[in-house]
Amino acid sequence: MVTPDLSVRLGSLRLRNPVLTASGTFGYGLEFLPFLSLEEIGGIVVKGLSPKPRKGNPPERIVETPSGMLNAIGLQNVGVDAFLAEKLPELRRHDTAVVANVFGETIPEYVEVCAKLDAAEGIAAIELNVSCPNVEAGGMAFGADAASLARVTRACRDATRLPLWVKLSPNVTDIRETARAAEAEGADAVSLVNTYVGMVVDVERRRPVLANGCGGLSGPAIRPLAVWATWQVSRAVAIPVVGMGGIASGRDAVEFLLAGASAVQVGTASFVHPDASVRIAREIGSWLAGHGLASVREIVGTLRTGKEERR
Amino acid sequence: MPRDLSVEIASHRDLGGGNHLLEVEAAPLARETAPGQFFMIGFPGADTLLRRPFSVCGLPGTFDGSSRSAVHVLYKVVGRGTEHLASRKPGSPLSILGPLGRGFDLELGAGTEALLVAGGIGSAPFPALAAALGARGIRCTLLYGARSASDLPLLDWFRARAPEVIVTTEDGSAGTRGLVTDPLRERLARGGNVRILACGPNPMLREVAAIAREASVPCEVSLEARMACGFGVCLGCVVPTRRGEGGETAYERVCVEGPVMPAEKLAW
Ligand SMILES: Cc1cc2nc3c(=O)[nH]c(=O)nc-3n(C[C@H](O)[C@H](O)[C@H](O)COP(=O)(O)OP(=O)(O)OC[C@H]3O[C@@H](n4cnc5c(N)ncnc54)[C@H](O)[C@@H]3O)c2cc1C
Ligand SMILES: Cc1cc2nc3c(=O)[nH]c(=O)nc-3n(C[C@H](O)[C@H](O)[C@H](O)COP(=O)(O)O)c2cc1C
Repeated sequence: MVTPDLSVRLGSLRLRNPVLTASGTFGYGLEFLPFLSLEEIGGIVVKGLSPKPRKGNPPERIVETPSGMLNAIGLQNVGVDAFLAEKLPELRRHDTAVVANVFGETIPEYVEVCAKLDAAEGIAAIELNVSCPNVEAGGMAFGADAASLARVTRACRDATRLPLWVKLSPNVTDIRETARAAEAEGADAVSLVNTYVGMVVDVERRRPVLANGCGGLSGPAIRPLAVWATWQVSRAVAIPVVGMGGIASGRDAVEFLLAGASAVQVGTASFVHPDASVRIAREIGSWLAGHGLASVREIVGTLRTGKEERR
Repeated sequence: MPRDLSVEIASHRDLGGGNHLLEVEAAPLARETAPGQFFMIGFPGADTLLRRPFSVCGLPGTFDGSSRSAVHVLYKVVGRGTEHLASRKPGSPLSILGPLGRGFDLELGAGTEALLVAGGIGSAPFPALAAALGARGIRCTLLYGARSASDLPLLDWFRARAPEVIVTTEDGSAGTRGLVTDPLRERLARGGNVRILACGPNPMLREVAAIAREASVPCEVSLEARMACGFGVCLGCVVPTRRGEGGETAYERVCVEGPVMPAEKLAW
């Protein structure tokens, strides 16, 4: 049996295999070195970076839910300068694509981080987290409507030549609209989904469990929602789609690939099994081999809904 | 360096009161784990998603008759995960990630007496700790408080192994009626070269830390917090800490900077 070719292309960026790790679930990558080799995955997306270090939200920050978890970490991070000075040089010793996840509370903050990353060596792409509240626009998330998403995408596009991915929030009426806005303003790819907003109540205390009140839902609980969003978006835009949400096995990843994702990200699963991303990449290979397929690229977007035959 | 191992339950004892003592054979963990460190334990086939954190309770030599690769965990059934775990029989598979976190400082210095302060299931890390301190010739006193007599797991073990055990219960069903902080205050009033090592519910730890501070006695506490990963990446398990007197507060991870932290650094 031939070993299937797992390499994929996202615009100008070539990845060894379609599995990346999702932002906020893989630290700065180095924390995982006891458990896996970064050379066995397509790449890593680091924890969201802001212009200055951020302290994050008070605890409680997380709570388990049926087949998932809710988090309100509050984007605690070391800041872009410390990342570039302390983490990136270490990461560059490993042959893997490093994608920098970026957020800000204002458009100039996004631009500042993008410009600093652009000037650095060793960043494969920038992923914009647009689920952050827009302080200038009264705290509504940048990703909540197509117009503000368009503005932040354009500003960052003008600040960097690096491949620019926009990570879409699923907390919108029609995710295809924000996807099209990202494409129109020069994004090289869209990634989706970020977490779904939810709440868990402590009925004895009559309070939300999380200090922040609400939090973002991730894990297998959101997988069908995320597959659906991936399928919708992949038919609405021509740029590559990176899919994620509850992926815990190679089969889960194949769902996203069939639904139109050119690559996938693994998030919450890495908390439970630190080597999950590597295992998932291998399982995609076995699945392809088991189906006599030579390349993962053959299956991207080949989902059949049955409706096309009936038409 | 932590590792993720697949193990089988070697023995599993119901100690009453919802408390259980679990033993697994895991040579690397037996070799490398220090008292106060913890494991993230996963239950393959259970309907829980995340692993659960548990302190190391016993290492080789802690409990009689255990092997050189034995590791023990003492836990109390409090929810879905621990309820599921309690139903597991010897031979049943578990995944165990560890050793994790920062354990107790064992370098107490000659002549220092260790005051171990436990609240109920908070005694879990103390058998391994008492054994390690004992091996270093350090005298340990256990102050063991709980709601009632059934919430004092391994009391007999402690009585056999620690030079002195003082028990308090809130309902008076064992030891003296009252809180564990009462005998702690009395003991500190006697003075001497002591250090406090405490584990239990947060309100108790806060009180113990305040008492230690007042008496100018060094104090380490082993903390609990909800955590998803256990190795520093989810940032879910943070506690507020302070750098220096009146210093700026930050959030530090119970799983990496803890679970054992010097009480004076906590901003609670
Ligand atoms: C470093 C550390 C060491 C620990 N050592 C021990 C030990 O040796 N023995 C022992 O009995 N318990 C210990 N605990 C507490 C133990 O992890 C919880 O009792 C257990 O996770 C409860 O799981 P559950 O599914 O039964 O409860 P549920 O309430 O159903 O759990 C729901 C979620 O909340 C979390 N959670 C619930 N209670 C706690 C808690 N008190 N602390 C942290 N997370 C919690 C769970 O991990 C899970 O993610 C420790 C906790 C930490 C952080
Ligand atoms: C604890 C935690 C922290 C996260 N932090 C970030 C972040 O900083 N930036 C970001 O774009 N997404 C963040 N995410 C979202 C994930 O990258 C991912 O989109 C989401 O968890 C869905 O994938 P999953 O179900 O595989 O976890 C975070 C998720 C979790 C669980």
